[in-house]
Amino acid sequence: MQAQYRGMNLIIPDTDTEWKGYFAAAREHRLVLKRCGHCRLLRYPPGAACPWCTSLEWCWQEVSGKGTIYSYEIVMQAIQAGFRDWAPYAVVLVELDEQRGQPSADEGLRLISNLVTDDFKAEKEENVAIGKRVEVTFLDVSSDLSLPLFKLSPELPQGSVWQFK
Amino acid sequence: MANLRDKYCIVGVGETEYSRSSGRTTRAMGVEAVRNAMHDAGLQPGDIDGMLSYHGNDSTSATAISSDLGIRLNFYMDVIGGGSSTEALVGLAMGVMEVGMCRTVAIFRSMNGYSEVRIGGTGARAATPVRGGDLATRPYGMLSAGQNFAPTFMRHMHDYGTTSAQVARVKVAHSKHASNNPKALLKQRVSVEDVLSSRWITKPLHLLDCCLETDNATCIIVASAERAKDLKQRPVYIMGVAGRVSKPRVDFHFVHGPVSRVAGYYAKDIVFPMAGIGPEDVDITGSYDAFTFTTMLQLEEYGFCPKGEGGAYVSSGIIELGGKRPNNTSGGHLCEGYTHGMSMVIENTRQLRGMVDDYCPRWQEGVHTYDYAEGKCRQVRDAEITMNLGWANPATGSALILRR
Repeated sequence: MQAQYRGMNLIIPDTDTEWKGYFAAAREHRLVLKRCGHCRLLRYPPGAACPWCTSLEWCWQEVSGKGTIYSYEIVMQAIQAGFRDWAPYAVVLVELDEQRGQPSADEGLRLISNLVTDDFKAEKEENVAIGKRVEVTFLDVSSDLSLPLFKLSPELPQGSVWQFK
Repeated sequence: MANLRDKYCIVGVGETEYSRSSGRTTRAMGVEAVRNAMHDAGLQPGDIDGMLSYHGNDSTSATAISSDLGIRLNFYMDVIGGGSSTEALVGLAMGVMEVGMCRTVAIFRSMNGYSEVRIGGTGARAATPVRGGDLATRPYGMLSAGQNFAPTFMRHMHDYGTTSAQVARVKVAHSKHASNNPKALLKQRVSVEDVLSSRWITKPLHLLDCCLETDNATCIIVASAERAKDLKQRPVYIMGVAGRVSKPRVDFHFVHGPVSRVAGYYAKDIVFPMAGIGPEDVDITGSYDAFTFTTMLQLEEYGFCPKGEGGAYVSSGIIELGGKRPNNTSGGHLCEGYTHGMSMVIENTRQLRGMVDDYCPRWQEGVHTYDYAEGKCRQVRDAEITMNLGWANPATGSALILRR
């Protein structure tokens, strides 16, 4: 898989045993994570071994794509030229609902992504906050590559919401 | 293994001019920095037989630098890495000398970090294809150090109530120090208001929360304490070192929290026991100020204040010249220039010699006024112990404790 996106050349060779299945599923608008064939824990990023039991056995497991904003930033000055027309944009650290606080209290399945609107514009800063509920959405970048992004969910936050002022 | 405390010394330091347009190769700059450090130590080319360097962006290999200076090496290694490499390579140098592979090691870093390969991530770095581990961040417009680190700081603000105005005091302190440093690229003193009114880069970071991009080369020479006694400068003893200590899941540390915790949490348990001291014994800190908040995160993680109280610590006046424990007395990466950590070790070495190059008329004789007004002195009176806190990213850090 290869695609041009915002001036970047994204490359996922057939031999990329870490990312190929992740993006193949994303093309079908499914969010998948690697699941250990031994201890059954999910992991992200899709590393080559299980960081908790070292097993090399794994399979792709679809997850809900629902989660909570754990942290974020608002990029005001884009570094990459292809993002200049998009700034300000939100980079969010999303904690997925699956496996929160496992296998230890401070661990979680957390992904970096962008928070976008239904029509894939950068979400407005006033709508971005730690604690807000989000869900995955997929941007079709090319005929064979889609990018998992997140949008605000209609669900109410489970706890308090915090925003940088 | 026996404790190596005080068995090795920093015997020579040197650098080139800090600029944004060196107009020459990293090789030419590296040669000058190593040569300056050799002269500082009173060493000849034949006395250097080990060389280490690191390449975070552009650099030049030890083979080029040693050949140009007529140095034949018994050991050399050019490692991949940026910040946190300085302290790690000091530790490596001690190790190779301890096993007898060589006797005197020059550590250098040379980069055209503004004019050729910009540290900030624009230009050549932004143009490289996105593959492998970069797929987790770069497609989302997360590339530069500021963009990569900002969520850690944002989470710290959430967890502990840390504010922009608090960490702005780091820039204020370092600018005060740089105003007394003839080498510094930015000598202008700034206020908290100047930081807060500077333009946004990525919220929560303003322009003045970010360090400079600089062309320069730096060198530190390490030898045994035994050998140091016969050299030109007052020996500066290495009490403890920790190199490139990482958090769990270092390739994507966000998945293993607390996210507002940084690597010093682990490094402190190596470096302080080795040195046989605690934070309260340190007179000067050299905390990696890639950003204002990186200084704050490290100082609290190493125990200079309780975790979560870093904002209060850096805004209390403690870290300024004249305060209880000044930080980055040269102005650091925020004001003096960016060197991937080397310059903060060089500065602490000079502090411990009593020989910082400030505006005191007789600084070369070690005579200082201790007047910290603008354009005056930056020597800390009777500094006995310093500590450097190296930073590659929130998940990797190094530390070095020195004494006179």
